[in-house]
Amino acid sequence: MKISIEWLNDYVEIPKLSAKEIGEKFTLATAEVEGVVETGAHLEKICVVEIKKITQHPDADKLNLVTFSLGKGDDLQVVCGASNVKVGMRVPYAPIGTSFPDGLILTPKKIRGIVSEGMLCSTQELGLTEDSSGLMDLGPVAPLGQNMLTYLEEKKDIILDVDNKSLTHRPDLWGHFGIAREFATIFKSPLKDRFTQSWELSLTSKFTKDRSPITPRIDGDCSCLGYYGLNVDGVVVNDSPRWLQRRLIAAGLRPINNIVDISNYVMLELGNPLHIFDRDLISGSEVIIKKSGASYKFITLDEVEREIVPADTVICDKSGALVLGGIMGGLNCGVSTKTTKIFIEVANWKAVDIRKTSTRLGLRTDSSMRFEKTLDTLMCKRAMLRTLELILEICPKARVVGSLEYAGPSLINKNPLVIKTSVEKICSVLGHQISAQEIKRIFTSLGFGVEESGNKLQVTVPSYRATKDVEFEADLIEEIGRIVGYDNMPPLSPSLCVKPILLSPTYTLHRKIRSFLTLNSSAYEIMTYPLVGKDLLEKCFAGENRDSDLVILNSLSNEHDRMRPSMIPSLLEASAVNVKNLSSFKMFEIGRSYLSGKNEDFASERSQLGIVFFDKESTPYIDLLNSCERLLNHLGINFQIINANNKFKNPLIPSDWAWTHPFENLDIKIMGKSAGIIFSCHPMLLSKFKIKGHLSVMIIDLNEIEEKPLKDKVKYKPLSKYPCSTFDWTVLAKKGSAIGDILSLVNKTKIKEMESCLIVDIFALDDIHDAITLRAAFSDPEKTLDGEFLKSARERLVNGLEKAGYPLKV
Amino acid sequence: MIEKLGTVFKQFEKEISLLTNKADILNLKAKYIGKKGEVSEVLQGLKDLILEERQKVGPVANEIKDKIQNIIQDKLNKAEIEEINDGLKQNRVDVTRVESAFVNNHEHGGLHPITLIQQEVENIFLSMGFEVLDGPHIENEHNNFIALNIPADHPARDMQDTFWFHSPSGDVEKKALLRTHTSCVQIRGMKERRPPFRFIAPGKVFRCERTDASHEMVFHQTEGMLVGENISVTNLIYFMKVLLSEIFKKDVEVRLRPGFFPFVEPGFELDIKCLICGGTGCSVCKQVGWVELLPCGMVHPSVLQMSGIDPAKYNGFAFGLGLDRLVMMRYGIDDIRHFHSGDLRFVSQFKSY
Repeated sequence: MKISIEWLNDYVEIPKLSAKEIGEKFTLATAEVEGVVETGAHLEKICVVEIKKITQHPDADKLNLVTFSLGKGDDLQVVCGASNVKVGMRVPYAPIGTSFPDGLILTPKKIRGIVSEGMLCSTQELGLTEDSSGLMDLGPVAPLGQNMLTYLEEKKDIILDVDNKSLTHRPDLWGHFGIAREFATIFKSPLKDRFTQSWELSLTSKFTKDRSPITPRIDGDCSCLGYYGLNVDGVVVNDSPRWLQRRLIAAGLRPINNIVDISNYVMLELGNPLHIFDRDLISGSEVIIKKSGASYKFITLDEVEREIVPADTVICDKSGALVLGGIMGGLNCGVSTKTTKIFIEVANWKAVDIRKTSTRLGLRTDSSMRFEKTLDTLMCKRAMLRTLELILEICPKARVVGSLEYAGPSLINKNPLVIKTSVEKICSVLGHQISAQEIKRIFTSLGFGVEESGNKLQVTVPSYRATKDVEFEADLIEEIGRIVGYDNMPPLSPSLCVKPILLSPTYTLHRKIRSFLTLNSSAYEIMTYPLVGKDLLEKCFAGENRDSDLVILNSLSNEHDRMRPSMIPSLLEASAVNVKNLSSFKMFEIGRSYLSGKNEDFASERSQLGIVFFDKESTPYIDLLNSCERLLNHLGINFQIINANNKFKNPLIPSDWAWTHPFENLDIKIMGKSAGIIFSCHPMLLSKFKIKGHLSVMIIDLNEIEEKPLKDKVKYKPLSKYPCSTFDWTVLAKKGSAIGDILSLVNKTKIKEMESCLIVDIFALDDIHDAITLRAAFSDPEKTLDGEFLKSARERLVNGLEKAGYPLKV
Repeated sequence: MIEKLGTVFKQFEKEISLLTNKADILNLKAKYIGKKGEVSEVLQGLKDLILEERQKVGPVANEIKDKIQNIIQDKLNKAEIEEINDGLKQNRVDVTRVESAFVNNHEHGGLHPITLIQQEVENIFLSMGFEVLDGPHIENEHNNFIALNIPADHPARDMQDTFWFHSPSGDVEKKALLRTHTSCVQIRGMKERRPPFRFIAPGKVFRCERTDASHEMVFHQTEGMLVGENISVTNLIYFMKVLLSEIFKKDVEVRLRPGFFPFVEPGFELDIKCLICGGTGCSVCKQVGWVELLPCGMVHPSVLQMSGIDPAKYNGFAFGLGLDRLVMMRYGIDDIRHFHSGDLRFVSQFKSY
């Protein structure tokens, strides 16, 4: 909302501060000022001149050298391109140094080699109109040398652009008068409240004994909270006076005609939207406010056909709907140049209803925006009288017919809201000492009533703040806090009890995983969207039923219209991005997948770790498998990596999913439950994502691991006093043999003194055989193992493997 | 005799200076101080001398023998080291052949910048006795709106364009949505605890918003809440100043101005003095000198009440910190969409954090 300081000055004296300082004060005390603009200053520099001579620019066809006079005998010359320039014309001239509203500052410069001493202006350049053709012709009698601010009867002003969102909770601040009250409090300057009882009397005295030609009537339950109507005859529709137009423009509205302008003016001044009807266009002698009760088309003032539904409140005459209550008038009853008799409506509407209708129609008007904030019905009468005051001032022949008519619930004897608080409580919540005197000053200045009894304060909330804005003691504390200024309150540490706080098991686990994978596996952490599209899921899991996907009703695009049931598609998508730039990479994400919930729960979120290794040349599967083993060992989790088994479906991939690699595919069991998978993607799947190379993926479901803290399972064994003996031997194995099989054969010998048996080396002997060297280590904590034992142990190992088809290499 | 010894020693010095080979040195040793060596012979000849002569020549001869002995040993040591070094030379490696010189090097990975800053924030609050909580992304209307004092049709819902799984106007009992803020964790946190307590809750939040360089539909926040007895606005200012000074590694000037959020009263917008221009005005702060950073306020009494906490006895403060903006400010990141792109060219820049 745009606020004119010049306008505010009607109601409060604002100290001589810079525009920026004024804006900052308001931001810190009340609501955010998004921008501050000074207007009119340039007009003071620009003055009326008369053109004396025009000659063609020697170097440009379309430019002229124009000589002109300010009336003081000293002729100046500019280069000018306007086509309407002629000798004797009086035009505005901006000298060097003038800064225009669009930011342009005139500096001395040469145009095609000739110095131009400023600029002759059009209306557009002066900021008066949005476009123009040629220089502004001021006519033959414009006083030479007079500045344009005086000539145009303009005023210098500062415009504050207040963020509408920051006024959401302040219905009283949607007009200049309410803002003036804030400034009066901020600057400790009295509010010039001219809306006194005698003012009211001076206007109600204009009412007559005649029967009002139009009266309002509320028919049944609707969104109207109160409706005032007043009939005025003898208006002459014309342009508004310049001062009124100027203020409307300053506040961002376009002047239309005096009657429409007055209604806008009152709205911008007092915050109450109103509507003025051409009475000749109302049939019958009443307007009826009611729920439309039917669906039909209605053309609003902006000439758009809109759909009315039965719940919308409309204002009707005998023949049908005239106004969409609180939002916009109809095209068929608006004020035109022919209008002489008017009916003025000042009403209040239920905020929720206005919001519903205007949201549905996509029609947010200056009027609906205000009613949505829950206005105070008690303020309607003042707005009506202010409207009347302006009409009588601007159309001196206008006269009231009848009296002020009202329809709606009684407004008398409404109990004002009183909230109890105390100076002590206010200071304690703010954490800052403020004197009782200052607290009372702030309340009073903001229009609150304060009664003191002992330590207690009884604060009466003014009706215009009591619609929903101020309800609790906390709201009162805010009033004091913001006016005192939070900047003026030094920070203070609370005195709190000391107790140990540790990172939760979930966060501890995530941190451990992250640091291990980055430092040990050299992988990068990435993040992908939890929202995916149907196309991506089908690309990945073709044929799977998508009915149980968690679909968003109001998604922005098909690519992000549902929650991912698996991290695999997201990881593949991210891989496709990276294969363009890298020939190998490792990355991981700790993210979530989202499944439909069981019983009462709408959804079940699974916290998961996904790792991807990619290599263009050779499969990174073993590398990934190693990383996975190391990680799980590091975490101290009880796990097994086993062959994928079709009988036990892995919960992390769809059953019968065809796109895992036929050989590079293992399941991970954690604490006995299938909770992970390590697989390479089938080349067919990769080709769908345009990935050329080898890509391996691991997914682990972390939900169950996260719940409990990781256990320290380390068990210390005293160092053995007796030496350890090792034995190396080499066996022949056919190519394609799994070393895992060989090692499990060795372990089957169950020699209890054998500490370990591992592979030392694998050497390709020829096309058929590999030579595999193993090393077994033996020890006994009680004694040194003798030669005889070692000999027999060796024999058992060698013979065991020999029998299984792995003969000793001789 | 002594003269002879002098000549022998000079001769020895001359000969040894020419030798480098271990065997030659040993031969030379035998030649001079071996059993039949020249010096040894002199020593053996001592017994034929008269006592007076013996006393004169003896010490000199011994001294020369020791000198020769030491020189030989020294020379032998040097020869041995040289021999080993020759061996090492055979196995010399190219010390410039480090992995960072190769394509496809995996020196070490790195964390996502959001994680980095989130962990930093977590650590700051942990150190001040705040728990770190977590919550679901798919929430219900109650936790995301109603319990936070935002009933249906409240204009504040306009500020947070919500992704809905159920129509907001429908009559499903617990309408599901994607949480629009981490504030819903306040509700979960309050239900599980008795005051006094303090916690933060970082995580992803979702808004139904078109994405561009500065807008995302998925971004990150950290909620914070402290509830106890006699908590004040100046306590809130204190915590916020500490937090921001730790994050930006310098004293940050902050200002609190009124801001409207239904779940706090009084509510504030916290601005920090622009770190780019220092407050004089630049394009980052839109010439204002201040940058809006986080909404905060004293927890609304109705919010406490709805979660079963007596607002007459307890009060507290809450705040919400946008992590993405913080990361972008810290590193001068120009496009918020990089965060969820999965592009390693982006993420890998933060590995040496």
